[in-house]
Amino acid sequence: MSSNNLNSAIDKVLSDESDVREATSPHQRDFPYERDGEAQVTRREFCNFLAVTSTALFVSSGGFAAKSLYDSQKTEVLPAMKIEEAVTLKPGSALNFRYPTENDSAILVRSGDGEYYAYGQKCTHLACPVYFEKDAQRLECPCHEAGFDVKTGNVLYGPPPRPLDKIAIEVKDNGEVWATGREVGGWERA
Amino acid sequence: MRRNFENPNQRATPKGRSAVLQAKLALLVMINLAQLWILSATVEAALAKHYKEIAPLVIASGVCWLISVTIVLWWKPTKSKRSTIGH
Repeated sequence: MSSNNLNSAIDKVLSDESDVREATSPHQRDFPYERDGEAQVTRREFCNFLAVTSTALFVSSGGFAAKSLYDSQKTEVLPAMKIEEAVTLKPGSALNFRYPTENDSAILVRSGDGEYYAYGQKCTHLACPVYFEKDAQRLECPCHEAGFDVKTGNVLYGPPPRPLDKIAIEVKDNGEVWATGREVGGWERA
Repeated sequence: MRRNFENPNQRATPKGRSAVLQAKLALLVMINLAQLWILSATVEAALAKHYKEIAPLVIASGVCWLISVTIVLWWKPTKSKRSTIGH
């Protein structure tokens, strides 16, 4: 192959513009497209684009603020629900239940002194399910080795930024245990 | 006035105007980055139910937006001085 042929082949490979043009030639009249013109964005156009982006970011912030304002006004009343099998729960053990909906798993712990404590089972780090570690008497998350205090739900160690969501418990005279509400954990650490 | 000798029909951008456009661009990019940070902080505060932090963040984002709009719409380079003899 002569050097001229080689150079033309290299040029053709490096710049496929001619091939694209050739391939799309039947459509060029209907969809005129100038690649050079398209690729060029002027500074003024880019400034305008940034101004539009700024508007979008401001509107988004305002939207989130409005949404959270609406949420703060709304007081959610959760129905009371009897926790089955809680009566037979032995001190120093735990059981899982679902509250307030079927999609919200929760854990009821009966401490050594016989008191009941219930929490949402989602770890506040990345929502892995926490479990009751009987030997250490604390709630633990197996995903990133976090620990929570059984009596307060506060973070003992590990990456979670806040305590577990607490579920309000009411023990009736006949020994039945009812879940009566749910409270989002604050941001204080143990 | 400078002439664009490659394309005589097109007026060249004067140096001062070009600098102003460049400055506008730089400022807008910085403001956008700040607003992006503010938006992420707003989302985080909203999800954490930290309602007291949200209002200042939205106000800050609004101020940034006002500055952006001001820069784009009203911040123009000063007109070049012309002498009475037309230069």
